[in-house]
Amino acid sequence: MFYFWAVAEAAVESGFTLEFPYKRSLGPVVGAFLGGLYERRIVGVRTAEGRVICPPFEYDPDTGDATGELVDLPETGTVHEWAWVSRPLRKHPLDRPFAWALVQIDGADTRMLHAVDAGDRGRIARGVRVKVRWADETRGHITDIACFEPVG
Amino acid sequence: MRDVAVVAFAQSPSRPEVETTETQMLFPIITEAIEQSGIERRDIGFWVSGSCDYLAGAPFAFVSNLEATGAWPPIPESHVEMDGAWALYEAYTRLQHGDVDTALVFCSGLSSRSDLRETLAVQLDPYYLMPLWPDHISLAALQARAFLDHNGATERDMAEVAARSLRSAKDNPNAQVSGDHTAEELLGADYLVEPLRPHDCPPVSDAAAAVVLAVGDRARAVCSRPAWIRGIDTRTDPHSPGVRDLAVSPSTRLAGEKAGVHSGPVEVAELAAPFTHQELIVREALGLGDDVEINPSGGALAANPIMVSGLIRIGEAFRQINERGRNRVIAHATSGPCLQQNLVCVLEGE
Amino acid sequence: MSDQTQTDTGLPGKFMQQMVSLDYRVLASPLQQRFDAGMRAGRITGHKCPVCSRVYVPPKGYCPLDTVATTEEHEVDVGDEGIVTSFTVLTPIQYRGQRERQPYALASLLLDGASSTVGQQRIAGPIEDVRTGMRVRAAWKPEAERTAEVSAMAQWGIGKAIEHWEPTGDPDAARDHYAEHIL
Repeated sequence: MFYFWAVAEAAVESGFTLEFPYKRSLGPVVGAFLGGLYERRIVGVRTAEGRVICPPFEYDPDTGDATGELVDLPETGTVHEWAWVSRPLRKHPLDRPFAWALVQIDGADTRMLHAVDAGDRGRIARGVRVKVRWADETRGHITDIACFEPVG
Repeated sequence: MRDVAVVAFAQSPSRPEVETTETQMLFPIITEAIEQSGIERRDIGFWVSGSCDYLAGAPFAFVSNLEATGAWPPIPESHVEMDGAWALYEAYTRLQHGDVDTALVFCSGLSSRSDLRETLAVQLDPYYLMPLWPDHISLAALQARAFLDHNGATERDMAEVAARSLRSAKDNPNAQVSGDHTAEELLGADYLVEPLRPHDCPPVSDAAAAVVLAVGDRARAVCSRPAWIRGIDTRTDPHSPGVRDLAVSPSTRLAGEKAGVHSGPVEVAELAAPFTHQELIVREALGLGDDVEINPSGGALAANPIMVSGLIRIGEAFRQINERGRNRVIAHATSGPCLQQNLVCVLEGE
Repeated sequence: MSDQTQTDTGLPGKFMQQMVSLDYRVLASPLQQRFDAGMRAGRITGHKCPVCSRVYVPPKGYCPLDTVATTEEHEVDVGDEGIVTSFTVLTPIQYRGQRERQPYALASLLLDGASSTVGQQRIAGPIEDVRTGMRVRAAWKPEAERTAEVSAMAQWGIGKAIEHWEPTGDPDAARDHYAEHIL
């Protein structure tokens, strides 16, 4: 779990990598969403008041009530908030400049955080239409969506 | 309700890197707060700390930190994996039980020991957010975009917050960054994560702080001018940035109402907003007008020791009352992505 | 880690795998650097509290009982011999990253002149001989091998300038000599 390494002035500074292999239980709602991703489908959930939450939660964030039935959704959506990353960090989803975005999938009332491979700072803006780019291999993980890309 | 007051406050200067151990950094601060309070260490009725083991990657670091308290004979103590402001909330609640009259709250953090832009991602939803490793600057940038698009505010308004904060920090020897800059000059820098530039973001700081609380006549006996906690409240919004309007902060507004911010005039507000746009969002949520002096300490833009910034705001509010003769000051602390959790504390002189 | 699918999610397993990995810097404080320099020179040092006279090895920079700061002026040498106050025998589970293959004994040691124990010290020799009260002596690494990195005090340890500890063959210490210094 701890891997020690030494840098330059070993008497003064060293370091370590702290690593934990987690396996996280999913439950029927998060499991349904990740199961959908595994099959290259987007799934949301309906609240008692009829709003659709995507990605889905077990509880309505507004009321705390349990959410209801699952809803199939398309792979397309609209960018709401965005932030342009000109210098990606090593763990970011893309290794070239990209935009973080809160994407509202068509038919949903909430937004999903993900990366948009806009290619160019000029191609990202509120209102831009995007669609899912699937990973080559899926495994039931949020990164089965490799990123979103602008449509048209 | 018992009347609880802040009677002492100590902090270490915020620095980019403190080379001692976290416990060594805390040790003199706790001692200083106790000496300032005039209360014997053995008489402290309750101890509570705020810290986060993830910052330095040291599991149970908060247990080692207890060596700085002198825990023999054994002491009643508690810990929250939160900013010290929430440890103070626990102490305030504990003092309401009636059996003890004093409490010491302490907190610390060595943010320099890791890359915060990775480490803080671990506080996020493990299914939908963390695996993408969105850093706190990127998340703040999304909120800044929401704020700019919906509020009519500008990047210049944000730069003005930074300029004012850095200028105020010149008078604060505990601040880490300070100086005279115009908004124009600041706006000339490249974006870090658009729309945020470096001045819109906090410095990375190592520091420790401690506050002593006392009840009623005990407070009056030990402190010439205690800062009475007239209201304190903490609220949280949903964690996910995708299910709420990021341009506003309902939890701050509600905490402010419950704490009674506008039960009287507000002279000074110490707001722990580590991003410029967040200060503007918090000011709006709390209904603070232009007549309120904001962050004379420089705020979290001048020094941002994670786990300590919030308690420092309460401590600075105490100093405004105790040393500068102010009568009514509010302090704010925040935690989580995009102002997810907010604590508001109203302090008054007698 | 793949269990059979549970419901109709169609997922390959019941769980989401996630490796969380974070890098950290460890800075040796000035106090630790001085202790490390001592270890490279073959000296084990501690700080003696000016109030209670307890000797903390390695030094903390304060006495946690009297809450007074300690500095170089309170530095004292302690012996590189001492008593096993507690020990355990580890059977190394072969988890990812494990380097040990055979059972081994780690002990807490009360060094001559110290009030606090040093923990996690490796005891050489037959494991069945290791017992509380046993007297041991440090087997130092050759001086040339006591590099800065090797001496570096890792968290609560005393570094790796000492290879392991060997029984001296002297009579065991009486329990009341170390009863208040077990951990």
